[in-house]
Amino acid sequence: MDRVVGIIAANFVTDEMGELSSERTIASVPFGGKYRLVDFALSNLVNSGISTIGLITPYKYRSIIDHVGAGKPWNLDRKSGGLFVLPGSVFGVRSSHSRFLIRDLIRNQVFLMRSPAPYVVITAANVISHMDFYPIIKQHIDTGADITLVHHTFDRQDSMRYGLKIENGRVVGLKTDIKEGDEAFVDTFVITRDLLLKILEWYSAIDYLDFFEAIEGDFDKMDVRAYKYDGYIRGVLTAGEYYKFSMELLKPAVSEELFSAERAIISKPQESAPAKYLEGAKVKNSMITSGCLIEGEVEHSILFRGVKVGRGAVVKNCIVMQRCTIEPGAHVENVILDKSNVIRAGTVITGSGEETFIMEKNL
Amino acid sequence: MIKSKKQCIAMLLAGGQGSRLGALTKHVAKPAVSFGGKYRIIDFALSNCANSHIDTVGVLTQYRPYLLNTYIGTGSSWDLDSRDGGVAILPPYATETGGQWYAGTADAIYQNLDYIDLYDPNFVLILSGDHLYRMDYRKMLREHIRNNADLTVSVMRVPWEEAPRLGIITAGEDGHIVKFTEKPKNPDSNLASMGIYIFSKKILKDALIADSRDPESEHDFGKNIIPTLLNEGKRLFIYEFKGFWKDVGTIPSFHETSMDLLEANPQFDLMSEDFPILTHDDTQPPHFVGEDGSVERSFVGNGSRIFGEVVHSIVSNGCYVGAGAKVVDSVLLPNVRVEDGAVVTRAIVGEDSTIKAGAVFGSADENVEIAVVGDDAVVE
Repeated sequence: MDRVVGIIAANFVTDEMGELSSERTIASVPFGGKYRLVDFALSNLVNSGISTIGLITPYKYRSIIDHVGAGKPWNLDRKSGGLFVLPGSVFGVRSSHSRFLIRDLIRNQVFLMRSPAPYVVITAANVISHMDFYPIIKQHIDTGADITLVHHTFDRQDSMRYGLKIENGRVVGLKTDIKEGDEAFVDTFVITRDLLLKILEWYSAIDYLDFFEAIEGDFDKMDVRAYKYDGYIRGVLTAGEYYKFSMELLKPAVSEELFSAERAIISKPQESAPAKYLEGAKVKNSMITSGCLIEGEVEHSILFRGVKVGRGAVVKNCIVMQRCTIEPGAHVENVILDKSNVIRAGTVITGSGEETFIMEKNL
Repeated sequence: MIKSKKQCIAMLLAGGQGSRLGALTKHVAKPAVSFGGKYRIIDFALSNCANSHIDTVGVLTQYRPYLLNTYIGTGSSWDLDSRDGGVAILPPYATETGGQWYAGTADAIYQNLDYIDLYDPNFVLILSGDHLYRMDYRKMLREHIRNNADLTVSVMRVPWEEAPRLGIITAGEDGHIVKFTEKPKNPDSNLASMGIYIFSKKILKDALIADSRDPESEHDFGKNIIPTLLNEGKRLFIYEFKGFWKDVGTIPSFHETSMDLLEANPQFDLMSEDFPILTHDDTQPPHFVGEDGSVERSFVGNGSRIFGEVVHSIVSNGCYVGAGAKVVDSVLLPNVRVEDGAVVTRAIVGEDSTIKAGAVFGSADENVEIAVVGDDAVVE
């Protein structure tokens, strides 16, 4: 796989994550108790044997750099190859379908030119999956395609996707009015490097466009193929999706696929003791991360590192991020608590369950 | 090779088999035995080094070192992957006159005097890798320097009835050591040596060279080096440690100490953050408790899946407790499978072992010994 470099596109913005992304990028939104969304893309690339990875950062990149650092947890602090931070442009893409801004690729094309690898895998930073890129790249090479787009059958789980018009395994066009049962692009593709560099040259005048918006009209001149992915895959863009996909992790089949011990999803290490249960703890159907201290009731919830649930407190249908404290007797239900919130003793907070209620990060 | 000069380096004795841990050390050295849900015993000493800003540590290994060596790796888990210094694994080696196994604690250090010379430290801290404690070695070093000592021995007060089993030190008011007795029948002091020493380097080197030439010597710090230095009238002082310190080198103490961690206000708090215990990061997801699972008064590590009942136990990383299974007063080391309906009581289950569906392992009867099964075992 030294013939492949990876690029993770993280320079796109959404207003629909609410408070979750007001201080951080989509890529660095915490997910699944101990991860950040970008961990999936990073780990999957690394686990597929790709050890040169460029990360196109969004303009507000403090939180993501804080998280990935020099790439050490993913074995990307290498003498040759490794992690390259590629600064994205000031205004990332905002269009609901766009992930891959031409301008960001052009600004960082030196990364591609310096690499001897003939193939490039590009994926978005908000994709949750346990994808093995090897068979995708193999198909790309075996068929001699110019571009191979990864897709799955659209099931209305996540809202914003391009549909693919596929004829005999060839992608002939894109569509935005997508309905259940259509084949949806999952923001992941393989492209031959020389073609990518040419495309960047051809389209430099319209560099404010999304890569696919720009090249769609030329699909008939290129060999664009489809690769169908059958595993669990979700793209997160809204707070509602964030809550829904988090809760899907409580289905053993989903978490066993995503977090299989082989080819593990890696995150930045943080020291904390195993989770501790005291007398009075009642936990069911929940994910609990190391460093938690539980004396109350937790049901159908996800607790990130270092969350404290006091005696007699109730946490139900919640996502509780790092270092929150639910004091004794407090009751929280249908809520996302961002980092470091303290719910005072006896307080009751109940979300409607229809709209996602988020309590902003407490610095 | 030129290395930077250090004020103080640590030498960590990790070569012992730990035969009193029975089945748990059949395949791994005692310092590599898993403890506290996600740690290995050596983490405590290495974390103390990291938290004390000692950045050069030689780890002396001998017995079944493979897991230990792999685990320590470059030392990055303890921020010991430093350019000048860091962690070095020191197994016995051959020279032009042949080679030999480490014959004792003092001999192990003697054989690695060249390593110590690389850093030309003023002081050498000698540790063993099999105790549970948090200690800032810098405080001990400051006392060593203030006393202008040749050797400082870390001690703690123990109950008088335990003194006859330990190395007991009698000290004057100012802390200078008057007498050192291994396992005294009639102790006149209850200050026990913790096996933690700071030597001024020259004294250490001279003492080890002299000891190596003594055919009668057992090459042991407690039995040979300290008594000899005392006889020679060297400046030996105590450093009295007042925190928690526990040898987890026997099955009963391993089990009891593990159970003590589960208290609401334990004497040794794994969760304390001011002096963190550093370890290999696990790459496992949060643990999951199913619809019918229940956990109380327990530690549960990442990656575990609990569908049965866990009471007053340590369930380490990556374990599985099946539906209807019950784990009580026990320690499951990493990656143990307790299958559906199995019952584990007052037991220690080694890494990667399986308790088969419906099996019963261990007994609640306090008169029965703690049940132990080693790594990779299957209990039907």
